[in-house]
Amino acid sequence: MGRIIVANRRGHQLVEWNADTDSEEARQSILEAERILREAREKGCAVSRKVGTQHVLDDGAFDPYAEEYQIIAPIAGG
Amino acid sequence: MPVLDPLRGLWQRLLAWDLLPTPGPEGARRDGPVERPWRYYWDHLPKRTAGADFSARDYQDARQRAEEVARTTLGDELWQRLMMDGYLDVPSRRYSGITYRLTIGHRIRVICAPGARSPWPYEYLCINPTYPLPELEFFAHLFLYARDREDTLVRVAAPQPWDQRLGRTF
Repeated sequence: MGRIIVANRRGHQLVEWNADTDSEEARQSILEAERILREAREKGCAVSRKVGTQHVLDDGAFDPYAEEYQIIAPIAGG
Repeated sequence: MPVLDPLRGLWQRLLAWDLLPTPGPEGARRDGPVERPWRYYWDHLPKRTAGADFSARDYQDARQRAEEVARTTLGDELWQRLMMDGYLDVPSRRYSGITYRLTIGHRIRVICAPGARSPWPYEYLCINPTYPLPELEFFAHLFLYARDREDTLVRVAAPQPWDQRLGRTF
């Protein structure tokens, strides 16, 4: 089971998918997760991926077998 | 009629709110179960608030969730250090002898080793998220930028002569 932590004013919300299940619903959830990451990056967000016990910023393509991604807010000065 | 196609496309985009900037709280309500704040603008909100639709309970819940995710993001070792010291230091990979001191909800303090010279005229760097976030959540984000994406941090940082709480976090 993979998940995206969407950091927002709610603290965070989760988008989850299951890459080990072969069903239409599972495929749709993977597509939706990929879509969210792509959209966030296009809008200037960074993306981190859990590596070991902590997150690191990641520019790689969406990996459905990743354990956890997080959408990181764009930053601005001032 | 082909000549009407561009107008039709424009109208559809207007209806989809692609062209008109949408204020955050209103837009977020359309997102369904997961808010996507990068789609909207939030500059109109008073400092350190998340929108008029946010209740005291919402703030409380958000801060609680933020703690969980900040701990997940940093990992246990860094989290324990943050809880013990009240800050995390991130050595610069770009400027020799420079360390970024990150404190929850505050500006970054630039610390110079003896003999090192800061590239900035002031001691503090003001950096905010572009949409409202709980302080702890943004602290973890800022840590990742400082450690993994220093160029971005350097590009956007606004040097300031004093410390102050950030305006876009709560």
